[in-house]
Amino acid sequence: MTSDVQLATRPADVSARDRVDAAKNLVVSFVLNGKPLSVAVAPTELLADTLREGLGLTGTKVACGTGDCGTCTAILDGEAVRSCLMLTAMVAGKTVETIEGLAGESDIHPIQQAFIDTGAVQCGYCTPGMILAAKALLDENPKPSADDIKEAISGNLCRCTGYTKIIEAIDKVANAVA
Amino acid sequence: MEKLDIVGQSKQRVDALVKVTGQAKYSADLRRPDMLIAKALFAKYPHAIIKSIDVSKAEKLDGVAAVMTAKDLPGRNGYGILVPDKPVIAERKTKYEGDPVAIVAAVNLDTAEKAIALIEVVYEPLHAYDDPREAMKDDAVKIHEQHPAAEKGNILCVLKLDRGDVDKAFAEADIVIENDYETPMVDHAYLEPDIAIAELDSTTGGLILTSAGQAVYATKRCLAPVFGLPQSKVRVVAPVIGGGFGGKEDSTLDVCAVAGVLALKTRRPVYFELTRAEVFRTTGKRHASYIKHRLAANRDGKIVAIDVQTILDKGAYVSMGGTKAPLHGVTMRTLVYAGGTYAIPNARARAYSVFTNHPYSCAFRGFGAPQVQFAVECQIDELAHRIGMDPVAVRTLNMLKDGDMTITGQIMKESRGLGLGECIQKVTQRIKWDQPIDHGKGPVRRGKGFGAFIYGTGIPLAFEGSSAFANLELDGTLNVAVSSTEMGQGIATTVAQLAAQTFGVKYESVDVVFSDTGRSPDSGPTVGSRSAVMVGNAVAEACRQLRSRLLEVAGKQFFQADPSTLTIKDGLVYVEGRPENAEKVATIAARAFVSQVPLSVIGTWFPPQPTFNSADGQGEPYHAYGFGAHAVEIEVDTETGVINVLRSVLACDVGKAINPAIVEGQMEGGAAQAVGYGLMEEPIMAAGVMQNTGFHNYMIPTTKDLPDLESVIVEHSNELGPYGAKGIGEPPLIAGAPAIRNAIYDAIGVKINIIPLTPRRVLEAIRQQAGQAR
Ligand code: FES
Ligand code: FES
Repeated sequence: MTSDVQLATRPADVSARDRVDAAKNLVVSFVLNGKPLSVAVAPTELLADTLREGLGLTGTKVACGTGDCGTCTAILDGEAVRSCLMLTAMVAGKTVETIEGLAGESDIHPIQQAFIDTGAVQCGYCTPGMILAAKALLDENPKPSADDIKEAISGNLCRCTGYTKIIEAIDKVANAVA
Repeated sequence: MEKLDIVGQSKQRVDALVKVTGQAKYSADLRRPDMLIAKALFAKYPHAIIKSIDVSKAEKLDGVAAVMTAKDLPGRNGYGILVPDKPVIAERKTKYEGDPVAIVAAVNLDTAEKAIALIEVVYEPLHAYDDPREAMKDDAVKIHEQHPAAEKGNILCVLKLDRGDVDKAFAEADIVIENDYETPMVDHAYLEPDIAIAELDSTTGGLILTSAGQAVYATKRCLAPVFGLPQSKVRVVAPVIGGGFGGKEDSTLDVCAVAGVLALKTRRPVYFELTRAEVFRTTGKRHASYIKHRLAANRDGKIVAIDVQTILDKGAYVSMGGTKAPLHGVTMRTLVYAGGTYAIPNARARAYSVFTNHPYSCAFRGFGAPQVQFAVECQIDELAHRIGMDPVAVRTLNMLKDGDMTITGQIMKESRGLGLGECIQKVTQRIKWDQPIDHGKGPVRRGKGFGAFIYGTGIPLAFEGSSAFANLELDGTLNVAVSSTEMGQGIATTVAQLAAQTFGVKYESVDVVFSDTGRSPDSGPTVGSRSAVMVGNAVAEACRQLRSRLLEVAGKQFFQADPSTLTIKDGLVYVEGRPENAEKVATIAARAFVSQVPLSVIGTWFPPQPTFNSADGQGEPYHAYGFGAHAVEIEVDTETGVINVLRSVLACDVGKAINPAIVEGQMEGGAAQAVGYGLMEEPIMAAGVMQNTGFHNYMIPTTKDLPDLESVIVEHSNELGPYGAKGIGEPPLIAGAPAIRNAIYDAIGVKINIIPLTPRRVLEAIRQQAGQAR
């Protein structure tokens, strides 16, 4: 008989999320969706957790926690980043945008509108991350080619749409007559 | 006929705005700080005897509220959609690596994980089965020592279909084509991981389960015995769901069972979420299949017989695999679709469902149809090449037409919609099938391939049918409640459109409550491409009742007219043709309310009773079938084996597109998953242990793997569907993989009968063929 004592869960099963019980002894100041803010976090706290659990901004999704899917995309100083891989401590002094910051008082952002109009939303789990990836692209390159669009969102997985309508939505914003 | 101004329009989805703004609340977003966090210790060995479990160290850890093993459960240690054979916590044996051995609830995730790490389990590992062909042998170790439904050893069931004289037809046929095919297990790869929240219901003393699940009523029924509660005390709610594709019919049971028993034990709310690696390892998969397909035909291209044997990798538990009648699942569909969408007079099919130590195989977009129709569509291509006929012409020659009989003995009727011919025509036109393609000369070659499919609307179970509520509010708005889940497929929008059109209010005046057993009647599970038709009909029926009640009041108390001369449109009631003299629906509703006219109604709809005999495969399992054709253009790099899909044109006969944008979305999503199925996706299993458990090594299509996906909607009305509709959720996936495979043959003359067509597999096939030619 072979026997074995199982002592530890496999490392791959350890979630990178929700580690918020350590002492929140680090104060991090940054600009979130246009407003300056200071939050007390644990030194090891992930940005995705600070946003979702600490600040209640649950529009940021976490579908993998390993940097592979893009649902946790936030914009950091103009660049699309994966908030599941970043420590909150790393955003000190920087500017962070999340999906909650996109819509204005009375209007939603043109990218959001285009996603609605083209039918680019199905289950919606990829949608906030997709929209932010698209915004980072368009802020940098207002007239992207179809290939630029495909490249910019190639790290954002969507299981529902096949991307056709998502690409169409982004292209529609880019090539709208102002 | 009534002019449709809401049905048939691409109305804005009811959930679009909250989804683009990040306001939509999925299960994970409902987590509160007062909830305990659950974790499971999953089996270290996929097949093993559990010798001992010691939880004492875990129990002593600060912050741990409960540690449970099988002996601590409050009710039956078994559940399952069809057969209760899956334990909440494994007791004596583990059967796959997703069996929990112990479960924990603690104040936070860190503590829960620490507690899990402190649990000591002694196992005696057994041989783990990866291949059903090995597991079905007489001397194989029985995975289930005692199974409530298994026929023999690890063989869960053998289903049979027999029609005509197959042996005679084969003996007399001009051509026999015989091949082996293999299709993989596939992970649903929905982006939202599996989550359950369990809380005590202070009113009933029962449980409330909030979970991303596709079948709230089935969840309640399956799990009440696990909790030792009457079904009436279990309420199941599914918030908006981040994708399901069939998988969340079952996986929701896994997480709800664990969270539920921990909530009962601790008397506190419990939150349980699987990590992505756990989703890959533990939740259900598509049935892998091993198919021997023989097809007999005459030189003129007419198919005369098929003889098909399908062995399905059942994984560890029955799930939606199904057994003999009446518990029809995936296995039964491999018989129904063994001849594809063609009229074949003689047929023999055998389907073996065999337990292995893999994750349980469950429902997944297409329910067995993508497996066997892969084989059929490859076979028919080979037939075309053998007799020198165009592959599309062979299909057109053999396809089911009005009055033809399927291999289950069901007569096809145009009145239920038979649009395959039009689908084929539209696709071939669009992709310019008639024009020769430049195959190229260098290492990169091009080719075109084709596939067609058939797929029944609904589920062939005796209970098939739906109920829905409609409640007319006194301000003229309408509330509709169904238990279907909104997982992205757009049922809430579809239902709102059907209700608005049928009753006569504006689309914006309808609100839909979904997937809550406490608020909606049983509309059936959200599977089988059934909801638009079954639930849609129930909603339409409820709205017709409300409409006629309202018209009755309007006729008597407002217009002094026969109700049949009245109409309701955009929230106004008037005598047909005289909209200038209208009363508001709200005004009439207010009068009805004080006239003892009930404004809350339940609508129901049942299709003709599905029949299917699992001893001979005969019956009428579906009232209507959807059809489609899929053509692709691909590029093969003969040096790397990489396939690049350049074009994908898919046409589906959907009966009636209630919301064309949503239908296109289903078609594009299905075509994308077909590319994943055909080219990329395959769990790598080693003695029952999945090796690729992240999105970095279990690859699903990204923008770089897909062309612009072209969709053509074809509408051959189904007389029994709401406004003519048929199901469209699953079908778009079915014919893509064989179309790609057939295109590779067109490009380089290499025949590969195993998917996914990974670069390695393609290169090997190219080399093998070159070796043989030498
Ligand atoms: S959740 Fe961050 S990349 Fe997947
Ligand atoms: S819409 Fe479901 S994952 Fe993109």
